[in-house]
Amino acid sequence: MVTKEEIMKIAILSKLFVADDEIDGLTEDMGKIIAFADTINNAADEGTDFDHINHLSNVLREDVVVPSLDREKILANAKDSDEGCFLVKNIMK
Amino acid sequence: MKYELVAGFETHVELATNTKIFCSCTTQFGGEPNTHCCPICIGLPGTLPKLNKRVVEYAIKAGLATNCEIAEISEMDRKNYCYPDLPKAYQISQFDRPLCNHGYIELSNGRKIRILRIHIEEDAGKLVHSRGSTLVDYNRGGVPLIEIVSEPDIRSIEEAREYVEKLQLIMRYIGVSDCKMQEGSMRCDVNISVRPVGSEKLGTRTEIKNMNSINFIAKAMEYEFNRQVDLIESGEKVVQETLRYDDVTNTTSGMRGKEDANDYRYFRDPDLVTINVPRSRVEEIAAELPELPAQKLKRYVEELELPEKDAQLLVKYRKVAEFFEKAAEGTKTPKTAANFIIGQIFRYVENEAEKEAMDIKVTAESLNELIKLIDNGKIRMNLAKSTLDKMLETGKKPSELISESDMAGLDENALAELCQKAVEANPNAVADYKNGKEKAIKAIVGFVMKNSRGKADAMAAEAKIKELIG
Repeated sequence: MVTKEEIMKIAILSKLFVADDEIDGLTEDMGKIIAFADTINNAADEGTDFDHINHLSNVLREDVVVPSLDREKILANAKDSDEGCFLVKNIMK
Repeated sequence: MKYELVAGFETHVELATNTKIFCSCTTQFGGEPNTHCCPICIGLPGTLPKLNKRVVEYAIKAGLATNCEIAEISEMDRKNYCYPDLPKAYQISQFDRPLCNHGYIELSNGRKIRILRIHIEEDAGKLVHSRGSTLVDYNRGGVPLIEIVSEPDIRSIEEAREYVEKLQLIMRYIGVSDCKMQEGSMRCDVNISVRPVGSEKLGTRTEIKNMNSINFIAKAMEYEFNRQVDLIESGEKVVQETLRYDDVTNTTSGMRGKEDANDYRYFRDPDLVTINVPRSRVEEIAAELPELPAQKLKRYVEELELPEKDAQLLVKYRKVAEFFEKAAEGTKTPKTAANFIIGQIFRYVENEAEKEAMDIKVTAESLNELIKLIDNGKIRMNLAKSTLDKMLETGKKPSELISESDMAGLDENALAELCQKAVEANPNAVADYKNGKEKAIKAIVGFVMKNSRGKADAMAAEAKIKELIG
């Protein structure tokens, strides 16, 4: 069961604005998603290696530099920035 | 009671690739904050990391050079922790299937420091704490690292120092990292505990994080060893914790925050696929490895017959060793080249960084040319030494500095004449020699050498002088 309170908490943590009239719908949707995961948990496991279900290996890239993204774009989603850096609350005491 | 130190190292080495481990941003050091970033290395949703081929190759090289087994199958995992230096809130690393396992580094005292594993991972961003908030620069985020984890086999600070120096040298020789500790391209975490001498049981360990200088490592270990012994002696217990070393006060203190939360909830990174290294590829890479420092040292001593001390000085810097080998090539005895380098050239490359770069005006080819002139009897040692000084100052070749007449040497008559003069000019030395003071003859020979500007053959001069004064 997913509660409305949990949805509101997740919204705050994700820095997403959720309107009051969206909360019920989102709670229901999230509940279905969690329930779906339970279905997978209940499925029979026949000893399959689920690490990499596609059985790919060695998807590698050559060591060649490609220009990076403009800094304005890198910082565009930052809540706050200063001196070209992401600015976050002081995490040290 | 006497106590023994027990230490193990976790060493992070930044790989000298052009691009980051999972994206094509440059790994260049420095640069304006957040200008070496892209959606992958700042962890935007929906991006797909792709492993850099060279990272795998370099890590295999590092593994082979430290006697590790290379895993045929290895995997990338997510190490979860929430801290602003990680934009994704997890670091992509390797947990239960690292690329390299079970190697060792042999120390000069014959002890082997076992290496448990070497794995590949991404570096975190850089945090600057200022004015009550934290600035985050992700340029370093995603730069490839190898983490070399040793077993707790180190028993003294000297062994710790040698272990780190050896690792540094090996990584530089095989060209996978510049290992500049001051720039952070090599950093060490040290696990340290103490136990009564003779005890087999390991004591409670503490971990000193992120040290970027061999001297700091030595000081921090010494401080921590004494601190733990004091605790035990006074009946208290060592608490297992993560410490930070402060080089200003030379003390360690507990760290708070992410490092204490040890539940990393590792799981396989579903974005990255299995790394499969066939045996044949390992063999190819092994064949490409250059001669390693330990092998070089052995060869210099056993085959080139250099004194071990000289050999160590030459092997310590890859470029110095290369210079020596070129300079000594085809000469009568390699010791001559070694003497010139250690005695004269090292005065021009005094510190570590200068020796590392070996940026001098003399080329190995010119030194080789100079040594061959000595070997062929064209010039004497004195003239060679003064010529090398001029070469170091001007960058000129021996052929530009030594004239034909210099090379001609002295004919017998000129030598006899000069020796006669020397005997006459040094009556005291002659008297001393006659009174049995054998060394006095050196002063007379010195006169000959000086007045012939080094052209005379010192041995021949000495013989002639002895003949004259009987």
